[in-house]
Amino acid sequence: MKINFILNKNGVSVDVDPMKRLLDILREDFRLLGTKESCGEGECGACTVLLDGKPVTSCLVNAVHIDGKEVMTSEGIAQEPLGKLLIDCFDETNAVQCGFCFPGFFVTSYHYVKTDGEKSLDKIKKALSGNICRCTGYQKIFESVMLACKRK
Amino acid sequence: MKYITKFDAIPKLNGSWQFLDVYSYEGMIPGQLLYSICHHGIIKKIHFPDGYDLSEFTMVSAKDIPGKNIVPEPECDQPYMADKEVFHFGQVIMGIAHPNRKLLREFISNTSIEYEELPAITDIKECLDNEKNAFGRELTIDHRTGKNPDPNWVHHHGIYYTPHQEQAYLEPQGMIAVWKLAEREMFVRANAQCPFFVKEGVEAIMGDSINEAIIETSEGIGGAFGGKEDFPSLLAGITSLLSYKSGKPVKIVLDRSDDIQITTKRHPARIEINSWTNPETKKIMKIDIDYRLDAGAYQTLSPIVLARGVLHAISGYSIPDAFIRGRLFRSNTPSNGAFRGFGAPQAFAAMEAHIDDIAANLKINSYNFRKINLFKIGDEFPTTQPIIENNLSDCLERVIEKANYLNKLEEFKEWNKTHKDKKGIGISIGYHGGGYTGNGEKVLNSEVKVVIEKDAIVKIFVANTDMGQGAHTTLAQMFFEAIDHPCEKCRIQLPNTSKTPNSGPTVASRTIYIIGNLLRKFALKIKDELGFENLEEYVKSHQNEFPREFRMNFVQDPSVVFDDENYVGVAYKDYSWAACVTEIYFHADTYQIELTKSWNVMDIGKVVNQKIATGQAEGGILQGLAYGLCEFFYKPGYGRMHGFTDYALPTTMDLPDVDVEFIHTDSMVAKGLGEIPMDFPAPSIRNAFYNATGIFINEYPMIPERILSHIQKNKD
Repeated sequence: MKINFILNKNGVSVDVDPMKRLLDILREDFRLLGTKESCGEGECGACTVLLDGKPVTSCLVNAVHIDGKEVMTSEGIAQEPLGKLLIDCFDETNAVQCGFCFPGFFVTSYHYVKTDGEKSLDKIKKALSGNICRCTGYQKIFESVMLACKRK
Repeated sequence: MKYITKFDAIPKLNGSWQFLDVYSYEGMIPGQLLYSICHHGIIKKIHFPDGYDLSEFTMVSAKDIPGKNIVPEPECDQPYMADKEVFHFGQVIMGIAHPNRKLLREFISNTSIEYEELPAITDIKECLDNEKNAFGRELTIDHRTGKNPDPNWVHHHGIYYTPHQEQAYLEPQGMIAVWKLAEREMFVRANAQCPFFVKEGVEAIMGDSINEAIIETSEGIGGAFGGKEDFPSLLAGITSLLSYKSGKPVKIVLDRSDDIQITTKRHPARIEINSWTNPETKKIMKIDIDYRLDAGAYQTLSPIVLARGVLHAISGYSIPDAFIRGRLFRSNTPSNGAFRGFGAPQAFAAMEAHIDDIAANLKINSYNFRKINLFKIGDEFPTTQPIIENNLSDCLERVIEKANYLNKLEEFKEWNKTHKDKKGIGISIGYHGGGYTGNGEKVLNSEVKVVIEKDAIVKIFVANTDMGQGAHTTLAQMFFEAIDHPCEKCRIQLPNTSKTPNSGPTVASRTIYIIGNLLRKFALKIKDELGFENLEEYVKSHQNEFPREFRMNFVQDPSVVFDDENYVGVAYKDYSWAACVTEIYFHADTYQIELTKSWNVMDIGKVVNQKIATGQAEGGILQGLAYGLCEFFYKPGYGRMHGFTDYALPTTMDLPDVDVEFIHTDSMVAKGLGEIPMDFPAPSIRNAFYNATGIFINEYPMIPERILSHIQKNKD
């Protein structure tokens, strides 16, 4: 099946099995390797991308779901001014340990800061609750997002 | 204590840091493991599905192994692949590779194996309650006086159970093997903590069919926590054999379901404690600890987990008459292995709970009871190792003060009188011996290397891996700060067994403690040898001397003398110390424990990089809290829990506000940090729950189902 969609602000088209996971399309067909597979069942959020501006776990999204839609990955967000600001905040607070979950956290945090951005710990915790990190204990991630909300 | 930004932070954030799955080699094909779903049985027949051309597949089983079918471990008893009999669910029977990954998956999921089933033990209690299941060498620490307990002493007894715990590194296990026929060399790209262990693993299975195995880690290692210590040897062995047989590079990346079901986990424990206290002085006079670990189907590295367990079993108390007996028990579950803490979290989960049980019996608050019994300078461990500092006591005093513990005790008591829900506060303490136990570091004889280039770039060569803990940044910082050379001049060689000397495995909180302190000394030695004040200027004016290579070995302090037979002597040169206070809110309608605040004070000696150290501590504390609160396996290996959907990992919503403070940071020595945060938090939850409700629960984790059934049982 041939699908057309907007990937990181560029129109693209690809011929794939309609059930192919968006995660695999990104990694295999477009070599966008920031998006990671960890649990493969939508629990951990390591594969989070924005689909029409909303965070989704790309392991649960199939090719048919993205036809005509807009997808933003961590690579695309890293080019945005707000993405760059977030990267600085994560770096400054040492929020990154192994880094495997991080592109997912990056996407979800970007979405929170962009659409809400209130400096509220409770709201940030809730916004990030679909992303699992095993290394950091989350505290430094909260600090980073707080910092980004302050600076944006 | 300044902060240097981690070298790898930006590439990890923008996604360009290379994890194993990204690496590609010409002609590479995917592989997968075919494993047993039978707990114990004889393999009768393997039925491959119809409709596939078997000649397209590369298959390896026990009979294809040119070397030995035994994984090198402290106890060599586990085969790479089962031959005739399987001893646990998840035991690998074959490695299979095919160019089409989708087709390979289908083929393996449609392959069925016929077994003659044999009796199996899969339940933790069934395994650990029955003495008949004990196997392997028994360890005892005998510090008995030979006297009977005084009849006036009060006797206390408790049996405590701890569960399996999954490391749950976010990046699943994976391995790439590239057979180079011309050189007869097996190159392995490893997602592993200990490249030299992987090298032994590949060379053992391949035997004389290869000249050498060369292991290089992937750039990124997506978490490990001990889980990538010994399983990678098995995985690398089978991947190598597939590459050897197919003549092509082979990559195996486990999916989460396979990873969670067949790889190593934290050992479940049953710890029975008998103790006697003097009711007048409130001193513990005598203790007898029976420490049992469920090793799984094979011993593998369990004997050294057991060793650390018995050495930490008594927690931080001075008890004149002590006997600790440690044993491994066999079950038909995957072999348990390394996980941050390595036997110590189990020990503290039991002993710190027992301390609160005694305090409750004696009607004294748990802080005062700890204070009376805590060991101090002049006391000794049951191994006769002298206590030379009161830093554990300092941690306890500081955390009590910070948490406002004594006032909260009163406040919660009052609040609870008028509320159905309950508030509670609990203490626990812990410590962790840094580096390998006893004579281990002497045997390891770790070596490090640096090369100073013509442009004053210093390249560091160590085999220790950075799996997210920030080891490479901190190691470099220790070397560079010692000689005041700018960190931008640092390069770190990716661990590679043919390039980096064997500086030992990345385990046992030894990377900064052993290798970091060694690099600091090494830097000073080089400075002394060359006689420079400023390295950059020296290199500029002595260009013909560079590039130049330097090497140095670790020398163990002569005070570390340990009798491995009798468990007497100095088990660890330096200990890290910690104390914790946790506050909980118990929801009486849902039986749910909500963690509201966690205070933690730790002495890890010199803090090299404040932000990295705090990040390590916070991450470890969350794993420790989750160990007490929610993580466990319901019948491991039944295929019942096979992902993050059913294995309950803590999310951002489950976490209390965690406060961490390091004390005694003016020390010259950076001590172990990796494991100590994991050791002590779990029992503080259990003790806080007792404080809130007056109910003792001796099984971890403290899940609502367990609390409910405990309350119902007591009603009946």
